[in-house]
Amino acid sequence: MEKKEIRFKINGEDTVISIKPNKTLLEMIREDLKLTGTKEACDHGECGACTVLINGVPVNSCLVLAMEAHGKEILTIEGLKQDDRLDPIQEAFIQNTGMQCGFCTPGMIMSTKALLNRNPKPNDDEIKEAIAGNLCRCTGYTKIFESIKDASSKIGGK
Amino acid sequence: MEEINIGDYSLLGKSIPRIDAYEKVTGEAKYAADIELPGMLWCKILRSPLPHAKILNIDISRAKRLTGVKAVCTAKDFKGFRWGWMPITRDEPPLAEDKVRFYGEGVAAVAAIDEETAEEALELIKVDYEELPGVFDPEEALKEGAPVVHDYRPNNISWEFHMDFGDVEKGFKEADLVREDRFATGRVITGFLEPPAAIALWNSSGITIWAAKQSPYFVYRHLAQCFNLPLNKIRVIQPFVGGGFGGTKNDSVAGDFCSVLFSKMTGRPVKFVYKMEEVFLTCRRRHNAIIYNKMGMKKDGTITAMQSRLIADGGAYTAIGPLTMYLTGCISTLPYKLPNFKHDAYRVFTNNPVGAAMRGHGVTHTRFAAEIQMDMMAEELGLDPMEIRLKNAIEAPYETINKVTIFSCGLKDGLLKLKEHPLWKERKKENKDKETISGVGISGVAYLGGARQRGYQSCAAVLRLCEDGTVEYLTGATDAGQGSDTVLTQIVAEELGLSIDHVDIQRVDTAYTPCDAGSYGSRVTALAGEAAMKAAKDLKRQLAEYAAKEWNVSSEDIVFKNNKVYPKHMPDKAIPFRKLAQIACYSGVGAVIIGRGYSQYGIEPYDFEKGIGNAGTAYSFTSQLTRVEVDKETGFTKCTDMIIAHDCGKPLNPGLVESQNQGASVQGLGQAIYEEFVMDRGRTLNANLADYKMPTAVDAPNIEVIHILTDDPKVPYGAKEASEGAIVSSPPSVISAIHDATGIWFKELPVTPEKIALALREKKKE
Amino acid sequence: MVIFYRRLPKFEYIKPESQNMLFEILSDNKNCSVYAGGTDLIPKLKKRLIKPPDVLIDLKGLNELDYIKIEGGTLKIGALSTIYSVATSKIVIEKFNILSQAAKSIAAFQIQNRGTIVGNICNAVPSADSAPALLVLNAKLNIKKKDGSRKVNIDEFFIGPNKTVLDKDEIVTEVEISEVPSSFKGIYYKLSTRGKMDLATVGVAVLLGSDNGRFSDIRIGLGAVAPTPIRAKRAEELLKGEKINKELINNAARIASDESSPIDDHRASATYRKIMVETLVKRAICRLTEVG
Repeated sequence: MEKKEIRFKINGEDTVISIKPNKTLLEMIREDLKLTGTKEACDHGECGACTVLINGVPVNSCLVLAMEAHGKEILTIEGLKQDDRLDPIQEAFIQNTGMQCGFCTPGMIMSTKALLNRNPKPNDDEIKEAIAGNLCRCTGYTKIFESIKDASSKIGGK
Repeated sequence: MEEINIGDYSLLGKSIPRIDAYEKVTGEAKYAADIELPGMLWCKILRSPLPHAKILNIDISRAKRLTGVKAVCTAKDFKGFRWGWMPITRDEPPLAEDKVRFYGEGVAAVAAIDEETAEEALELIKVDYEELPGVFDPEEALKEGAPVVHDYRPNNISWEFHMDFGDVEKGFKEADLVREDRFATGRVITGFLEPPAAIALWNSSGITIWAAKQSPYFVYRHLAQCFNLPLNKIRVIQPFVGGGFGGTKNDSVAGDFCSVLFSKMTGRPVKFVYKMEEVFLTCRRRHNAIIYNKMGMKKDGTITAMQSRLIADGGAYTAIGPLTMYLTGCISTLPYKLPNFKHDAYRVFTNNPVGAAMRGHGVTHTRFAAEIQMDMMAEELGLDPMEIRLKNAIEAPYETINKVTIFSCGLKDGLLKLKEHPLWKERKKENKDKETISGVGISGVAYLGGARQRGYQSCAAVLRLCEDGTVEYLTGATDAGQGSDTVLTQIVAEELGLSIDHVDIQRVDTAYTPCDAGSYGSRVTALAGEAAMKAAKDLKRQLAEYAAKEWNVSSEDIVFKNNKVYPKHMPDKAIPFRKLAQIACYSGVGAVIIGRGYSQYGIEPYDFEKGIGNAGTAYSFTSQLTRVEVDKETGFTKCTDMIIAHDCGKPLNPGLVESQNQGASVQGLGQAIYEEFVMDRGRTLNANLADYKMPTAVDAPNIEVIHILTDDPKVPYGAKEASEGAIVSSPPSVISAIHDATGIWFKELPVTPEKIALALREKKKE
Repeated sequence: MVIFYRRLPKFEYIKPESQNMLFEILSDNKNCSVYAGGTDLIPKLKKRLIKPPDVLIDLKGLNELDYIKIEGGTLKIGALSTIYSVATSKIVIEKFNILSQAAKSIAAFQIQNRGTIVGNICNAVPSADSAPALLVLNAKLNIKKKDGSRKVNIDEFFIGPNKTVLDKDEIVTEVEISEVPSSFKGIYYKLSTRGKMDLATVGVAVLLGSDNGRFSDIRIGLGAVAPTPIRAKRAEELLKGEKINKELINNAARIASDESSPIDDHRASATYRKIMVETLVKRAICRLTEVG
């Protein structure tokens, strides 16, 4: 199978890569770009661990072909930190212990990022709905909700 | 930062952020599947399409010839190696030998230059089977003439335990009411999100494997046995672990053995990553069990006797099943006074996937049955479910009839707090609208922490002092997500009077870290914590001697606090800890200061045959209120609130204790109303996260955790277990809430909308 | 032979830049898979549930198929319009609300952002959430191929589980829904075990218009209770033109249940599903008519 060249921006950086068309965006991010922060769990769009943002929109990267990245802006967990400054969401997940094993955390944070971008002051139901596609088996979600609320208040306070 | 006063400490009792949080929120944390090595091959396993069949022939020739394939293996290459929990139960080969015993069992494996090629190669392997009649129900498997799963167990009984204390017959005679019921727990799985993965390398130094393991010292021993190497040639390196919850990640999987073998065959590193479906179909799951429970009760609610007979589906191999069976009985005598108790547990082989440990190990089955039956009897006798628990609850100190000893117990205290809680006081069937009816349920349970298996079971810690006053901390204990690295570091830093960032905990590397039994049975804080405390005291003792010389005082009078050291009552003389470290390291020819400690709690023997004694070092007590809303017609159930009064003794990091309780109770909610593998003749029909329904964020209730403080002398700083009690308390409180709403007792888990709707219709007809 | 594939099969990838090119390829008699949102296709390919295609055709070069618009009162949804955009479209919420309800009930945001409404119906699973809503809206599907086009009513589109009337060389380019009188009200009830990220055990869509205490129009769509999503026409007939009353509604709900033909599967039993059809049809009509 022939590789095809695609160009896109990932975490703010222009990238050119030749990729086989049967690779998923998730495989390309993890294996070709070596950005292993994005996790693979169910591989069928049922758990949200592989959530990344394409042009600001959260998607399961396991269900997207890598070819589709062409011309797009991709944001992964590695792209949230600006210089050495953490994103307020990351800060809030640290302070509120919004994780245990951490395997769902990158996806959870990316869904939160998309939520707070479009709705900086979500209510409880909106928070729950925004991360309904991100399974967490460790925390029972309580401290994740608290993290997101805290992040929202930090962002809103600016 | 949340803080609970548990004593005169700088760090303990505080919700210090997790020390691994930064790595986890930035994506820096490396899990097994994130690791790559140059020249790496991919390993992939071919699995059986039949649940029970003789293997007549395996033809690997075409697969071997495919370009990119570097090696192919079958059971033959493991030369008869089998593993298991006890020497007499080693019945499981890495790949099936003469026959397959469950659907999806591994039969052959391939190593290729990439995963795509490995998958393609598997398609070229031809296996000839002769299908055998299978047996899929444990009660069927016990019948005369049932298909035999293992020749060494012709009656299919994998393991059995018989415990008998007091005189149950006498107890039943003394009772005013005796009930017998049949309960069943469902087929559920741990549900960690990180599928098992590893990367293995075989070279002249032996085996190195980066593996997703909750207890790396299990695979360490298995690999030594399988490949006939001494333990010092086995190096298991612990990446971050994406959840454990017992079972699969406390054991080896076929991929571990195959990838090591392939590395030996090819001289190249070999990686495998399981697919989630593969986990669901072929990895360990909780035993599902049938429990015949009989209880005797006096009119006033006093329990006079309990007898249980448990039949568990063990699936195709033994794994850790004997311990599961032991745990189903050994603490049934908690948390209520029970003068007479008899328990018969049978683990039965079937052609289903293997039953093994899972959070709440063993206890979840029998405690569910006992809690619900107690409530049913209370109802019959017109007693209040809260009062009946308060009446029977034990109080410390206490010794059960099978000599389980309790030195601290917050059950009554917890129940009394719940009794005063608005959720309980104001509970009534408020019809939210005419379609929905609500109910509140209660449960009260005990769980053992610091669990002990047979054989090696100590935890150890080594602290290496750096000349700049920082400390390297080596432990064999694994943080699979629960947060133990943070708590253990808090302990070391507390003892040394250092701030938390001065102590650096290393993840397990069996080449350097001291041997450890594993992260299971809520044992890390209790036992690795004890080791950490002792190692820190050992290090402090050595440093204090140098300090004592400086100030000419007794070494016992040296205080370590706030990164400083000073003679007692003379804080003005304080020098930085760093300075003392330098003095110690540079004095004379220089010293190597290493603190050492190992756990010694709970070394008195327990009787594994009869069920007598302490299988844990200390016991947590959890009482729980749950509120549900049930749609009267559709049966759709929403759990709205959970209040958990949890006695973990002293919470060393309250936030982490809460998180454990929250996670465990939602996992328990899953078991109660959402999760179940649906099986058809050994085949799991819903082996995916869409149809195996783990609770999502919208299903999670509001959860309030109430810390009940007690002081237990058997564990360091009085800290007992915090991770498993709530998965035991959750299902009975949920089912009791559904009963409160519907008036129906459900005795089989999970209680799905369908079961509720159909039962409500039946009830209406009556 | 059981293999847990983590990789996609090999295929040729083509992203046509014009519809002519698309239909040219489709008419080529190759084994093609059409890739729009991919939320159903990618897992199917991974699990090898369908034969690996020779050619995977990515529709996303055809931006002109990504629209939601109103033309002369008729709603038109292009093949690339995502579930999320339909769920949140102002026009859909205001004028075709039941479709928004159905779209919102599908999975979670990550899937809604990728999956398309057209894909949801072309996939033709009996539990597809948008189908009962589209059935009661009398949606029409515009189907195109190289040398022609046709329009199919949605109630004639499904022919079995995962089967539609689409030929190999055709695709659905547009969903078309005629204006619904503004007095009409609709409800989509999705029954599932979890509150979100779940498949419908039963899906019930009811759209009704009332006039002077009578049912001027009533349409009932059912999902997950027959080999295809269906309309409960006999139940509708019973009600149409009649005076709104509880007893009649109860009878209609019973008939709707009779019209369903669910199976036992790992999600629910046929018995439960049949009862739930009755329950939810009754509940939906009662709620819409405010009959207690």
